[in-house]
Amino acid sequence: MTFVRQVLTVASKDLVLELRSRERLVSMLTFALLIAVVFSFALDPTVRSRDIAGAMIWITIFFAGMLGLGRSFGLEREQDTLTGVLLAPIDRGAFYLGKVTANLVLLLIVDIVLVPVYGLFFQIDLWGQIGGLAVVVGLASAGFVALGTLFSAMAAHSRLGESLLPILLLPLLIPVVFFSARSTQLLITGRPISDVAGSIRVLLAFDLIFLIVCTMVFESVVEE
Amino acid sequence: MWGAARLTEVAIEARGLEKWFGPFPAVRGLDFTVLSGQFITIFGPNGAGKSTLLRMLAGAVRPTGGEVVVVGEKIGAGEHAWRRRIGVLSHQTFLYGHLTAEENLHFYGKLYGVSQRGERVREMLERVGLWGRRSDRVNGFSRGMQQRLALARTLLHDPEVVLLDEPYTGLDPHAATMLRGVLEQLRDGERTVVMVTHNLSQGLELADRVVVQAAGRWISDEDRSEIEVGEFEKVYTDRVGGAI
Repeated sequence: MTFVRQVLTVASKDLVLELRSRERLVSMLTFALLIAVVFSFALDPTVRSRDIAGAMIWITIFFAGMLGLGRSFGLEREQDTLTGVLLAPIDRGAFYLGKVTANLVLLLIVDIVLVPVYGLFFQIDLWGQIGGLAVVVGLASAGFVALGTLFSAMAAHSRLGESLLPILLLPLLIPVVFFSARSTQLLITGRPISDVAGSIRVLLAFDLIFLIVCTMVFESVVEE
Repeated sequence: MWGAARLTEVAIEARGLEKWFGPFPAVRGLDFTVLSGQFITIFGPNGAGKSTLLRMLAGAVRPTGGEVVVVGEKIGAGEHAWRRRIGVLSHQTFLYGHLTAEENLHFYGKLYGVSQRGERVREMLERVGLWGRRSDRVNGFSRGMQQRLALARTLLHDPEVVLLDEPYTGLDPHAATMLRGVLEQLRDGERTVVMVTHNLSQGLELADRVVVQAAGRWISDEDRSEIEVGEFEKVYTDRVGGAI
């Protein structure tokens, strides 16, 4: 089986499991929407919400995403299916990328629901910038998932389990948080996409670095 | 006896095999060979390191020292092609509860690159008596049914070396008879089988070589024909008692 087919086999298996259990998507969406509601009540009405909406959107997405990532390898602990997969002659990089693909699909669903909700709550017209926002959201989510999937595997092997994930993940995510929040902020305040081209290039570079490095080190993380 | 002509090639070779968990030794300096087609049963008390040994032979756990060669390929070296030659039945079933029996086997069939997968999946499900339940999710199965499906998963890719860790766990008498039939077929089909168990009678039934492991070491390694079934329990207890 080719590398790509191995990736798709793992990703489709994870998505079918999620479709049937709805464990992760429901908790991610519920959490994200609750945070959006809490922000909408907690904000000082005199603050211009569009000035801080970019940061709020990404804080919400990353924390909701961590809920889902925590279960990504957690579901492989039941009946030790992780060992079952690792006993097979599957490329470890393909296994990792399959997990990344499934996690990214789930996070993008959360993004698609959440970003318009923020637009509604904070009365921001997002349609004019939909193209630029889609690029930023896609790249930032990919970077988050690339790194988060690796740390989810590490956390699953640890006695601390899912509670270890944010401790490992958040410090390394700071550049992604910074550039995604900053470019989102600029876009929703009406700046053209050319103004955030630099941030988009940085996000793309982080995505590539995270994906390449994490694919290379994944085997050493999951092998006992 | 091991005198059959097929028992000439080495299927598994372990050299200086060791595994430590921190300061605690699980397996201590094992050197042995298992011939192709041999059915070897490893007995031993809890904590003897039997499951750890099996996991090292499967490539699921890295040895602290030493190496394992399976059908001429060193475990852990380079590519993972050697994994296609090994099938493992563990305490855990390695099955996804939210997938159906058929979907589980298709998933593993894809990972192992099983050709004519649809036919092979059907054959294996029929062999373990689960074809009629193929569309049911595994989390609705009894422990015995899950164990039977796990056996189908283990043998799906027709491995040359089969590693079984307490395979009779959770099986009712009917399912245990079915498993015995499958193991007989493996033995007659010239597959190399290493089985770990506590159950002396089931372990002795099909074995042609019997090992007792205690405190990470093999304290006896005998041809099955040299063992008197009636006396083995006492001999086993004496040996294990003396070793731990």
